[in-house]
Amino acid sequence: MNSVYSGPGFDFANTARNSFLESRGLPLPKATSTGTTIVGCLFKDGIVLGADTRATTGPIVADKNCEKIHFIADNIRCCGAGTAADTEFSTALIASNIEMHALSTGRKPRVVTAMTMLKQMLFRYQGNIGAALVLGGVDADGPHLFTIHPHGSTDKLPYVTMGSGSLAAMAVFESGWKQNMTREEALDLVTAAVSAGIFNDLGSGSNVDACVITASHTEMLRNFVKPNERVQKERSYKFARGTTAWKKEDIRDLIITEDITVIREGEAMDIS
Amino acid sequence: MPDGSYAHPQQRQFNPYTENGGTILAIAGADFTVIAGDTRQSEGYSIQTRYAPKVFRLTDRAVLAVNGFAADGNMFVKKVKQRLEWYRHAHAKDMPLRAIARLIQTMLYAQRFFPYYVYNILGGIEEDGSGAVYSFDPVGSYEREACRAAGAAQSLVQPFLDNQIYFKNQQLPPGQTRPLHLSLSDVLSIVIDSFTSATERHIEVGDGLEIYVVLAKGRGPQGLEAVRGAQELTTNAEGDRVFIVRRELKKD
Amino acid sequence: MQTVDMQQLKSGEVNLGTSIMAVQFRDGVVVGADSRTTTGSYIANRVTDKLTHIHDRIYCCRSGSAADTQAIADIVHYHLQMLTQQSGERPTVHIAGNVFQKLCYENKDALSAGIIVAGWDKDAGPSVYNIPLGGGLFRQPWAIGGSGSTYVYGYCDATYQEGWGRDETVNFVKNTLSLAMSRDGSSGGVIRMCVITEDKVERLFVPGNELPKFWEGEEVLKLIAPVKKRHEFTDDMAVEV
Repeated sequence: MNSVYSGPGFDFANTARNSFLESRGLPLPKATSTGTTIVGCLFKDGIVLGADTRATTGPIVADKNCEKIHFIADNIRCCGAGTAADTEFSTALIASNIEMHALSTGRKPRVVTAMTMLKQMLFRYQGNIGAALVLGGVDADGPHLFTIHPHGSTDKLPYVTMGSGSLAAMAVFESGWKQNMTREEALDLVTAAVSAGIFNDLGSGSNVDACVITASHTEMLRNFVKPNERVQKERSYKFARGTTAWKKEDIRDLIITEDITVIREGEAMDIS
Repeated sequence: MPDGSYAHPQQRQFNPYTENGGTILAIAGADFTVIAGDTRQSEGYSIQTRYAPKVFRLTDRAVLAVNGFAADGNMFVKKVKQRLEWYRHAHAKDMPLRAIARLIQTMLYAQRFFPYYVYNILGGIEEDGSGAVYSFDPVGSYEREACRAAGAAQSLVQPFLDNQIYFKNQQLPPGQTRPLHLSLSDVLSIVIDSFTSATERHIEVGDGLEIYVVLAKGRGPQGLEAVRGAQELTTNAEGDRVFIVRRELKKD
Repeated sequence: MQTVDMQQLKSGEVNLGTSIMAVQFRDGVVVGADSRTTTGSYIANRVTDKLTHIHDRIYCCRSGSAADTQAIADIVHYHLQMLTQQSGERPTVHIAGNVFQKLCYENKDALSAGIIVAGWDKDAGPSVYNIPLGGGLFRQPWAIGGSGSTYVYGYCDATYQEGWGRDETVNFVKNTLSLAMSRDGSSGGVIRMCVITEDKVERLFVPGNELPKFWEGEEVLKLIAPVKKRHEFTDDMAVEV
């Protein structure tokens, strides 16, 4: 008996049906995956995060300019790779919980808190939530940068990459990263790393998004570099009026008119 | 195994085929044919090369585009070219287009139980001077058509071609007429737009574009003079003529 | 016959295909590990710290799934903190080992974790506990673990002696790990070590280019080198060549 009440968390009501359909050869619908390049890099006074903007379903580009750097708190951001819906919802959930936590403690949120919440959630779901994350921010203890894998393991490093373009981007970091870089040097390196992913990994493409987080300020640089602008088409594909065939014409008036007939005068309201 | 028992027997298989992405297409006009392909070759999420031609000049009147498994494609083109050379030595002339189409069929079907993993599109000029496109499946089934797209972005490009070449789903507004064949300049712009669009929406298409144009004997170059960087590849200017046009595509 | 293959990780899981080790000596224990974390053939982290702080004088070495072992270590860390607050004294290594074992044994079908717990406590002094895959708990004078350990059992058996001091033990750990790392493809990077004694925990670090070297085929090269030298003098003794 199905209940109208829907509890909190995931709904597993269709799992039995879906596994039956799968065993009969009906494939499940493909989730949009952000076959991605996401990176993070430590510098003198903070963190720079970077991401490409392509989302794919199999070999088809689903979104040419999506946003992969998600908000966690004013001083914390999180890049997501893997299943788009999973990265979106897990970062949104943790952003919400972090805000609640900050409200109840009265303190600025810490990066490790967000990292622990994310890893415990991902571990609980044993890799079924396909979120691969790069988490960065600056808090009371200084700048922090983490990677979080879908099964819930974390790494703390001065420069990190994730997604299908992570190898191309890591090659740039391994050859170009140095300690105590300036903001400009770090931003250039992050741009080069994401660009390596964009041009050499088919799962990544379009533009470079970046985000610079320092102790005093967070700056989101949406479409920081746009190396893949659309080219002008050779022809116009505007169709002449009457191109689309139709079988039946039915014109309806959407303006509703009502006639109101007053049957009896009411008494005036007592406003004394 | 940790407990000392033996694991179940496991079956391993070698897969001799790879899908190397990319897309090809060909459109026939009244007295010309356009055959085009992008130049990206990929495997999985990696680009193997940004310039690997998929379209090849066979004779002054025939151009072959191959798409699918690149190693098979290159070997197949090599063998077709060899058979055409033997024909030249035996008959002192180039093989007619319809004969090349039948040759390709027999060569593909000879490999019926270990096929060349490729889709072929043959374009050129028939002996009657008309533009022609022949499309093949991997084991040799073929037909003559006015236009065909194949490869990774076939499902994106073919509906566009059906709409723009065959005018599918386009009702003729009253009083207007439609040309039986499109002009060369119209065809060229449709081809370029097909590839720039496929590049935007398909990850395996991009880097470069090679367009071959075959003109029937005696036809002037109208429609081609305005095209930037067209290069002639013809060996005998008395007969049908072949040109190539190259364009850049996005590289992400 | 149906058996659960514990070595089999879930696809795409991050693996600590590791060389880890802990050795007890007179005044404490030395724990050591390589620094490689892999996903398939890709090194996801080349400077990993697999020596995880559990309590003031208790550390653990993690091998197997990174996610599983981090989660377990976090939970044990939490339990021991609670225990310390409630009892007002430091937990023993034996207690830590038992908490680890409880988690590893009761969830054995969901975990791939091979953990070595080591440290110093008032009751037993220095001690080392090994918790291999199935969730057993064994006290040993020395323990090795991870995929690289299989290459160095013989070396450890032949080398280890009771009654060593700090420096001898540190050298033993350093040499063993270096040998394991050179043979095991899933181990490598740097060596991290901790010397845990009653007074303090000391962290040691050996960079990848300063690992102790053993035979690597140089002798063969040395044999070739003189032959090359002789060719340089062929002007004088042209006949000999």
